[in-house]
Amino acid sequence: MESILEVKNVNKIYGTTITTQVLTDINVGFEKGSFNSIIGQSGSGKSTLLNIIGTLDTPTSGEVYIKGIPTAKMSKNKLAQLRNKSIGFVFQFHYLLPEFTALENVLMPYRIGGGIVNKEIKDKARDLMSLVGLEKVADNNATKMSGGQQQRTAIARALLNSPDIILADEPTGNLDSNSTETIYNLLRNINDQFKTTFVIITHDRRIAEKADRIVEIADGKINMDIRK
Amino acid sequence: MKLSYQIATRFLKSNVGQTIIIILGIGVGVSVQIFIGSLIQGLQKGLVETTIGNSSQITVTSTTDDKLITDYDSLLSDIEDADSRIQFISPALDNAAFLDYDGESQSLLVRGLDLQKADSIYDITDAIVEGIMPQASNEILLGSTLKEKYGISLNEEINLITPDKRTILCEVVGFFDLKVAQLNNNWCITTLETAQTVFNSENTISSIEMQVTEADVFSADLIASDLEAILSDDTLEFTNWKGQNEQLLSGLQGQSISSLMIQVFVMISVVLGIASVLAITVMQKSKQIGILKAMGIKNSKASLIFLFEGLILGFFGAITGIAFGIGLAASFTTFALNADGTPVIDLYIDPNFILLSGAVAMVACVLASLIPARKSSKLNPIDIIRNN
Repeated sequence: MESILEVKNVNKIYGTTITTQVLTDINVGFEKGSFNSIIGQSGSGKSTLLNIIGTLDTPTSGEVYIKGIPTAKMSKNKLAQLRNKSIGFVFQFHYLLPEFTALENVLMPYRIGGGIVNKEIKDKARDLMSLVGLEKVADNNATKMSGGQQQRTAIARALLNSPDIILADEPTGNLDSNSTETIYNLLRNINDQFKTTFVIITHDRRIAEKADRIVEIADGKINMDIRK
Repeated sequence: MKLSYQIATRFLKSNVGQTIIIILGIGVGVSVQIFIGSLIQGLQKGLVETTIGNSSQITVTSTTDDKLITDYDSLLSDIEDADSRIQFISPALDNAAFLDYDGESQSLLVRGLDLQKADSIYDITDAIVEGIMPQASNEILLGSTLKEKYGISLNEEINLITPDKRTILCEVVGFFDLKVAQLNNNWCITTLETAQTVFNSENTISSIEMQVTEADVFSADLIASDLEAILSDDTLEFTNWKGQNEQLLSGLQGQSISSLMIQVFVMISVVLGIASVLAITVMQKSKQIGILKAMGIKNSKASLIFLFEGLILGFFGAITGIAFGIGLAASFTTFALNADGTPVIDLYIDPNFILLSGAVAMVACVLASLIPARKSSKLNPIDIIRNN
């Protein structure tokens, strides 16, 4: 199957005088519609890799291709546009905007993309809210929801622009096991339903095992790459 | 645009207390600016008004040996036609004479005026504290000081002794108070015809006095030189109030400059205050800016959020400041009173000046928000995401 994400010879070095090599010659590709997990010890460089894939961070050397397009020479505005249209982020800390309601947060990527909110997109946002089981609290302020609810809102938000890729960094990192289960089932359902490509960082092996592929990072290198 | 504006309003609403404090800060600055500006403008207008409001602002005199102007009717109409900025114009015949009353005597300046026209310049009607305007021949007005000094009563007759030693009997039909001790003590006002008869100066006058429109008071020198050029008559001399009040003018200028300096520095301190508070706001909201950037908001739009914050704060700050400023001015004129109940200083409320102050505050706030806007634009989302 074709590769939607391609990481080629990526190195990441932090610092100038005292240098720390976080990633060393990473070569990995992810197929369209696949559900992937990245595991590794804390400090192994998995988050850095995910941020580089998501164009939030830049590699010291090497190339990242998203949908076949090299991202290295893209302008900041082009990268912003690419993130807005093609990538949905879900972070360990949900990062909802506390000044807005849950529904307004979900609509945010659409508005950032320059869209004018009409009934159609509002309905889509509400549909996504019910997909994540939050139709009842859609109009609550973001701060007036539980951690699990906030994280599910963040997932709905990541889905709004129907991105090809969803990158999630420990999306259940600070949730209880019940919520964790719910969120993972939800992500899998979305993967089945919309054929969205998922790359999920987790430290929970039980969760990782539900993925189609497990990539383990150790000391900035790919230590293991298992496909089911 | 709309999204940046909405985020800006939500950011401001999310911390109402801080927003109100910033608005009050701007408001206090703007109100001080408006108050000081109105105070100084009022003070200057008052000074100018008392100095030249009831006097000739441009005076035409003759340079001939006898210092007299003949054929003045055509000259009057020529001047009137020459410049529309001249509001009032009046001929005058001035002569020195001696007042002789009850064995006492003193010198007087007998001013023969076209009373109807001169009234516009000197407000004689309002200045008359007792009696009426002179109408018939040999009727005169004297200053209220003379009334007290010599005990002259209304409609009494006094003697005027002319420089050629003739004694003319005149009737005092009224007393004036021009609010200037020297004039109240020295002037004797009568009709032009009476003066011409008394001093044997038929069909001549000694000067033409003028006032220009209020807006052109400070252009009196230019108007005078324009007139001089148009009339091009060597025997006429033009003087204007500015030439005779240089000290007042430099005083006014000094005052204007210091008032402007105060206003500028008040604004600078407001700008610095807002800039630092908004810079802190960027830090407070860096998480939000980071996530918005991760979701693909462009740097320009992220900056626009803070420019809008500056604009909104500036707008409400300006309105608050205008309200405060007018309130301050109103209470100053209501409570700071002279013994007779008139305000110590009449503030000059100029709507244009107030609107300008408001606009300057808004522009200043937007300028102040450039610093946080730049900060916001430079904020890298990865720093926010990595640090959490």
